Amino acid sequence: MKEQCINIRQACVLILMCIFTNKILLLPSLMFEEAKADAFFAVIVLFLLDIVVLPIFIKLKTMYPDKRLFEILSKKISPILTKFIYCVFAVYFMFKCLLVFSITYVYFKQQIYQDEIIWLILISGIPVINHAIMSGVRAFSRTIELLKWAVLIGFVSCLAFSLFTDLSMPFFFVSTSGEFFSSIFNHIFSFGDYIFLFVVIDRIEIKKGQEKQLYISSIIGMLLVGMLFFLFYAKYQVTAFMHNNALADILVFSVQFNAIGRLDIIAMLTIMFITLFQLEIYSYAFCDCVLNIFPKLNKIFSIVVFDIIFGILYYVFIGKYEILVGSSQFWSPWLGLFVNYLFPIVCLIIILLARRKKNEKTD
Amino acid sequence: MSFFNVSKKIKEIKTTLNESSDFAYRFYKKDKQIIGLVYLKSIIDQNLLSNAIYFPLQTFEEKLSIKTLKEKIIKCADLKSIKEEDIIKEILDGRVIVITNFSKELISIDLYKFPTRAPTEPPTSPVIQGPREGFVEDMQTNITLLRRRLKTENLVLTTLRVGSQTQTKVVLAYLKGIANKKIVDQVTKKIKEIKIDGIIDSYYVLSFLQNRPNSLFRQIGNTEKPDIATSKLLEGKVAIIVDNSPIVLTVPFILMEDLQNSNDYYTNHHYSSLVRVIRLFGLLIALVAPGAYLAMQIYHYNILPLNFLITIADTTQGLPFTPFLEILFIFLLFQILYEVSLRLPSYLGLATSVVGALILGDTGVKAGLISPPGVIIVALSKIALYTIPEQSSQVTVLQIIFIILGGSLGLVGMIAGFVYLLNYLNTIDSYGTPYLAPYGPRIPQDLKDGIFTKPITQMKERPKSFSPQKKEKT
Repeated sequence: MKEQCINIRQACVLILMCIFTNKILLLPSLMFEEAKADAFFAVIVLFLLDIVVLPIFIKLKTMYPDKRLFEILSKKISPILTKFIYCVFAVYFMFKCLLVFSITYVYFKQQIYQDEIIWLILISGIPVINHAIMSGVRAFSRTIELLKWAVLIGFVSCLAFSLFTDLSMPFFFVSTSGEFFSSIFNHIFSFGDYIFLFVVIDRIEIKKGQEKQLYISSIIGMLLVGMLFFLFYAKYQVTAFMHNNALADILVFSVQFNAIGRLDIIAMLTIMFITLFQLEIYSYAFCDCVLNIFPKLNKIFSIVVFDIIFGILYYVFIGKYEILVGSSQFWSPWLGLFVNYLFPIVCLIIILLARRKKNEKTD
Repeated sequence: MSFFNVSKKIKEIKTTLNESSDFAYRFYKKDKQIIGLVYLKSIIDQNLLSNAIYFPLQTFEEKLSIKTLKEKIIKCADLKSIKEEDIIKEILDGRVIVITNFSKELISIDLYKFPTRAPTEPPTSPVIQGPREGFVEDMQTNITLLRRRLKTENLVLTTLRVGSQTQTKVVLAYLKGIANKKIVDQVTKKIKEIKIDGIIDSYYVLSFLQNRPNSLFRQIGNTEKPDIATSKLLEGKVAIIVDNSPIVLTVPFILMEDLQNSNDYYTNHHYSSLVRVIRLFGLLIALVAPGAYLAMQIYHYNILPLNFLITIADTTQGLPFTPFLEILFIFLLFQILYEVSLRLPSYLGLATSVVGALILGDTGVKAGLISPPGVIIVALSKIALYTIPEQSSQVTVLQIIFIILGGSLGLVGMIAGFVYLLNYLNTIDSYGTPYLAPYGPRIPQDLKDGIFTKPITQMKERPKSFSPQKKEKT
C-alpha cells in the first residue's frame, strides 16, 4: 500500500535535519585535524557539491511525479542493477544511523551520563525509531515540523550564547592543498544530505513554484552549520581538535554560565531532538531500501532486520569509536562518493536521456 | 365491521409488555363504538391525557370516526398514524396509542413527560462571561437549545436508535451545505453499525465512533454547552446528541480544541492568546515536571544551579526512599487524595483536603519520609494538570510514564518518550482531520484560532482542517 505523502514544508524540515547530520558534534574537530581552520572552507565546498544534487532531484520529481525511485531505476537501468544500488543505499543509511548514534553516544557519555549504563541510550532510541518507521514518513515528518522551531531556536541560541565568550578570527589558509582536499574526501560520507529525498521521491508532494522552498531551507541549514564551524574555530583556535562536541562546546565559558545555571542544557536538548530525528529519517530510509530489495517482506520484518543489524553493529562499534572511525576511513569516502555524487550523476543521465527521447518524439 | 377487538388487542400489548406495573389503559364506549387508550403511566403527562383526550371524548356528542378523533376531539399537536408493529415502540417512547373498533388506523399521541432539570450552567465548563446554559439529560430540551441558536433550515437532525434493550435515540445534527457529507455518512454508518444492548450515556457512543478505540487519547470532542456545540456546527462539524446524556459529542476532533475554552471567545483576543500559552505551558509542566526533576536529580545534577542542588542535597539527606520511589510515593499520595475528594460528600471533602495538605504533606516532610522539593514538584504538576481539565485523565497516565522514563533513562529517555508521543499523536486522525492540526501538519489558515488567536472579525473562513463544504463564513 502506498504511504501517505508529505508536503513541501515537511520535506524542507527533513532536509534541515539531514544537513545537521554528523556535522554538529564531532565533524568540526575531525576536519580540523586535517585542514586546520580551513576546514571551514572545505565544508563550504562540500555544501556546494551537495546543493548541485538538489536541482537533479527536483527535475527527476517533475519528470516522474508519482513514480518510486526503484521503479524509475528499474525501468531506466535494470532491475538487478537497481537492487544493487538499493543494497548500497541500505548499507549507506545503516552506517549513517550508526555514525549519528555513535557520535551522540560519545557526547552523552562524556557530558551527561559519564559512567552510567551505556545501554540506556539504545533502550531509549530503538522504540522511537521502530515506531517512526511503522507510522511512516508523514507521521515523523509532522513531528519534526512541529518541533522545528524548538530545534532551530536551540541551535541559534547555542550560536548566540557563544558570542558572549572570547572569540578571535581563526587562522585561515594555513593548510596545504593536499590536507585541504584530503579533508574534503575523507568526510564526504558525512554529507550527501539530499539522498534521502530520492528514496522518498514518490512520497513528496511538490506543487509548481514550491521548489524554491527546498533551496531556502537548504541554505538556512548550511548557513547554520557554517556558522557553527566558524564560531567553533574562532573560539578554540588551535585546540579545536580537542573538543569533540562542537555545538555543546561553543557554549562553555559563556559569561552567562554561572549566573543562571549551565547553559549547555540548551545544546543537550537540541542535540537529543536532532539525533532522534536523524535516526528516524535514516532508519526509515534503510527499511524502505530493504522493502524494495525484498518486496515480499512487510514493514515489521524490515524493522526486525534493522534492529538485528543495528544491534550487532552497536555491540561491535559503540564504545569503541576509534574502531568505527579507523575502519570506516578506508571505505566510507568511497561509499559517500558513490551514493552522494555518482548516484545523482546516474539520475542526471536518466533525465537527459528522457529529455532527448522526448525531443526526438516532438521533432 | 369491526377492525380491532380492542380489549383483545390491549391484552396482547399488556402481555408483550410483561404486564408491567406502569402499564395503563382506558376504554371509552359510545353505542357500539369502543375506543381504547394504551400508555405507560410512568412516562406520560396524565393531566394532559385527561384534558386533551379523555375529557373531549366524553363531551363529544356526534358519531365517532378516525377523522373526527384526529381533527376535532384530540387536543394535541403531535399526533400521527402508526403501523400495528410500532405500537410497543411508541408506547415505550411515552406516547398514548388510540385503538378503535371502527378503524384499522392506529393513532399515536405524544404526551411524554420525563423528569427533567433546567438547563443550568454545567459544572465542568463554567464561564466568567457568556451564556450559562448547559445541556441536560432530556434530548428534546437539548435540541431546543440548539434550535434556538441556529434558526436556519440547514440544520439537519437525523434520529437513529441504538441499543437492543434501551432503544436510545441518537440524533445527528449538522448544517447542510457546511458539514462535510463524507463525515456525516461515516458517522451515520458507524452509529448504525453499533451492536450493543444499551446506551447509558454518550460515552458509550463515543467508544464506537473512535477510529482507534484502544487509544489513550479520545478522538471525539464533547461539550455540555449549547453555545460551544453551535459554534462547532458552524465550523462544519457533526454533533451527536444522545438521549439521557447532557454531553453532546462532536466530530471531527483535534487536540487543539482542549486548549480552547468558551471564555476565549468572549474576551479580548490578546488575553485569550496569553491564556492559551499558559495552558500549553501548564500541560507541558504537568507532563514532564516530575520526570525531569527525577532525571536531573539522578543523572544530570550538574545542570542544576548550584544553590538549588545544595537545597536538594540538604533536604533529601536521610530519606528512606530513593528519589524515584519518593516521587512515585508522593504522586500516588496526591492521586489517592484526588480520588477520595471526588467521591466523598462535600462536607467531608474539606476535611480530606486539610488532612491531605497539612497532615500528610507537612508531617511527611517533618517525619523525613518525603522532601519539600519533591512535594512541590508533584504538586505543581498536579495543579498544572487542571489548566486543561479535559486532558487530565490522559495526562495522568502520561505523567507516570514520564516519571518512569525520567527515573530510569534520564533526559534522553524523556525526550525519546516525548518524540514517541508526538509521533503517535501524528498518526491519529479524527475522521480525516489530523489530530495535531493546525500545527502538525501546519495549516496556516487555521492558525487564527490556534494558540495565538485573532479577533473574530478576522476569522472569515471555517477551519480548513475539518474540510467543510463551504469555506467562507459569510
